[in-house]
Amino acid sequence: MFDAVLAGLPLFLTVQTVVLVALGVAFGLVVGALPGLGPLMGMILVLPFAIGQPPIAAIGLLTAIFVAGSCGGSVSAILLGIPGTPLAAATLFDGYPMAQAGRGADAIGIAISASALGGLFGGAVLIVATPMLAEFAGGFTAPEYTALAITGLVTVAVISEGSLVKGLLAGCFGLLIATIGTDQFSTGFRFTFGSYHLLDGFHIVAIVVGLFAIPEMVWQVMRPSLDDKVALPPVRVGLRAVGLTLLHWANLLRSSALGAFFGAIPGASGVASSFVAYAAAKALAKPDERYGEGAEGGVVATEASNNATVGGTFVPTLALGIPGDAGAAVLLGALIILGVFPGPALFANSPEIVGGIFLVYLLANALLLVLGILMTPLFAYVLCIRGSNLIPIVLLLCAVGAFALQASIFDLWAMLGFGLVGILFKAARYPLAPVVIGVILGPLLENNYRRSLLISRDGHWIFWDRPISATLLVIDALLIVGVILYGIRQARRRARCTEVA
Amino acid sequence: MLIRALATTAVAWGLSASMATADYPERTIENIFPWTQGAAMAASQIVAKAMSEELGETITIVSTPGAGGTKSFITAMGRPADGYTLIDGWVAPLVLQPVLGNADWSHEDFKPLHAAHSVPFSIGMRAGDDRFEGIEELMAYCAENPGELRYSTDARNNLPHMVTARVLQAYECVAQNIPYGTDGDAIKDLKAGVLDFAYVNPRAYIQEPDAFDIVLVLSDDPGAAATYGGAPTFVDLDIDLGISGLAPMGWTWWLVHPDTPDAETETLRQAMGTTMAREDVREQLRGIGFNPLSYGPEQYDDVVGPVRAQLESMRNAIAWEEERMGGL
Repeated sequence: MFDAVLAGLPLFLTVQTVVLVALGVAFGLVVGALPGLGPLMGMILVLPFAIGQPPIAAIGLLTAIFVAGSCGGSVSAILLGIPGTPLAAATLFDGYPMAQAGRGADAIGIAISASALGGLFGGAVLIVATPMLAEFAGGFTAPEYTALAITGLVTVAVISEGSLVKGLLAGCFGLLIATIGTDQFSTGFRFTFGSYHLLDGFHIVAIVVGLFAIPEMVWQVMRPSLDDKVALPPVRVGLRAVGLTLLHWANLLRSSALGAFFGAIPGASGVASSFVAYAAAKALAKPDERYGEGAEGGVVATEASNNATVGGTFVPTLALGIPGDAGAAVLLGALIILGVFPGPALFANSPEIVGGIFLVYLLANALLLVLGILMTPLFAYVLCIRGSNLIPIVLLLCAVGAFALQASIFDLWAMLGFGLVGILFKAARYPLAPVVIGVILGPLLENNYRRSLLISRDGHWIFWDRPISATLLVIDALLIVGVILYGIRQARRRARCTEVA
Repeated sequence: MLIRALATTAVAWGLSASMATADYPERTIENIFPWTQGAAMAASQIVAKAMSEELGETITIVSTPGAGGTKSFITAMGRPADGYTLIDGWVAPLVLQPVLGNADWSHEDFKPLHAAHSVPFSIGMRAGDDRFEGIEELMAYCAENPGELRYSTDARNNLPHMVTARVLQAYECVAQNIPYGTDGDAIKDLKAGVLDFAYVNPRAYIQEPDAFDIVLVLSDDPGAAATYGGAPTFVDLDIDLGISGLAPMGWTWWLVHPDTPDAETETLRQAMGTTMAREDVREQLRGIGFNPLSYGPEQYDDVVGPVRAQLESMRNAIAWEEERMGGL
């Protein structure tokens, strides 16, 4: 594998490649930060330009947007309470409270540092353990994906703030939304009400922007401080942020490893990995860390995980030719246009291309740390803008982002509709993140469950016949039992306290 | 005075209209593409990029998947007929879905530009799977053991499914179709031994030729056989499917809304004609397993009409499969 890295050096060490990677990082941070855009949109926007460049420079540009865009979403999550991308949804839990407590610069610095370090960890995993991870993930079939999706849904119960029941209900609402569209198995239309716009369901970006951005903006409008100009001390992010991040080294390593693992499994998204990493960090945290109220560890966990996922995503994309997510699919399409065919043969026939891709990935993460920290004052400046000026700009960007995905007015209405749903959920104190998890995992769960039963010759026994799916399902069952027992214990404790009082 | 003013206005209107036509295109053109990102989109990107160079304006590919590709057609037909929206007219939404009763248009409802490229399909088994020696043994086993074998054509009710079901029908083979949503997932499960056989596209084969044992190329074109390392076609094996030419293959013919002005349509036709004649474009398409086509707009009805007729003749194959599976 290191031979491939050496072989890729001549392709990598060109001014064009380095400049395009740097531009990609800057552009990725901006599109990631802007709610409704994100890395996928950024990659799609530059794709026509990228395919005119030499292969490694082109992939460097797209990879840099992928990497930096995955981090950029944290900036708006921290400063505005709106995840710029679904990847940053979990960053909101502690990043936003940190910003509210006047530690926005620290939160951004930690997010950037954790992203870069998590990304570099993902890169190391990518280079050192690609064959092993590829072999492991490559063996997953429908029963394993079913069990994996259930694991993701069970984490909803763990991550939900407040009522577990409300969290599960919100997750089920997400699952129901995911059923809208064309049924993959019968090719029949479900809940489309005769509208062709719904033939493929709602676009995930319209859902996420609507659910998170609109209610947040409405809440901000209702605040008495709408016209107040926020006075912030000068934002200086330096090596201190790296130091703060490294204080959570165990969390950083664990979350990065989880991210790389999730990324290597096609279909398992960075969103799920960040929620799982957050749940793990929260479960293992000391009582005084106060997760959900501005814990540094929460930001470290989610950002390290979702950026390490990018590295992991490259494993099935390069080793198997199977894109792990939509962003990887864009990369895969670009590679094919450039005459590079991902798959096991690529490692044998074109090690210099594989090595070049590894190197641009590592450079993108290194530059993310440098450029991210340098550009933090620019991001922090957003907080200095009056709410009455910022809110229309944010809403305009949300609208542009939702519209630009498919040039569809319907997506705008969908965004507004989900905005209304988000307002109702927020007013009733229902968590919003489980809705998104349900929407993302719904098709993965339903299709693989039904596919498993079609493949099986013994009905549901297929899930127990396969060791990985059986293990995951046992873990899920233990988690559910554990959560229920924990809930009963908490309820009894509260009842006892009430009696004493 | 009034007459002079009206005449001046009319002349100005006419001049501006003619200038607008002369200036066409003056902004980005969108190609509404019916599938998600993948090899087919990469092929369309190649054509779009070269055609952009001919037109002097960018053509972007807008992925609009859903409902077997019909969502993209409905989306494009809802746009203004001004030459700034192209339809990536893949055979599935253009011909197959109307044949299946899932769309209410015919190929005659669009203005054709040029045919872009085709992609031949094949049926393959996992390399090293020595249970069957070729398609005849596979089909014989399948006919004797109805419902036991599992196969995939990626999605259901798509063209590979219809053609494969027609092959199975010809052999009285009843097998369980397993649908997959993402390009490549079925191939992964074929290689993992979950599936007994599957539809293999050129991209998958070019990536890993040693991973497959291609038992049947679903085309009568010798060039298609060469794409799959010289595997046998249904003509070689004397299998009578009642289909030929483009009918068993995937292909796309770029189209525009029927109300698109003639001047804009002609500009697009010239640009695409020049594009498809370029050897560099054809070579790039071949390089990713797609066969560049050379049909012009004047051949549209002659080529697409027979394809529709042949697909009509195959429409009962999937229903036959479902009926037989339901009876097991």
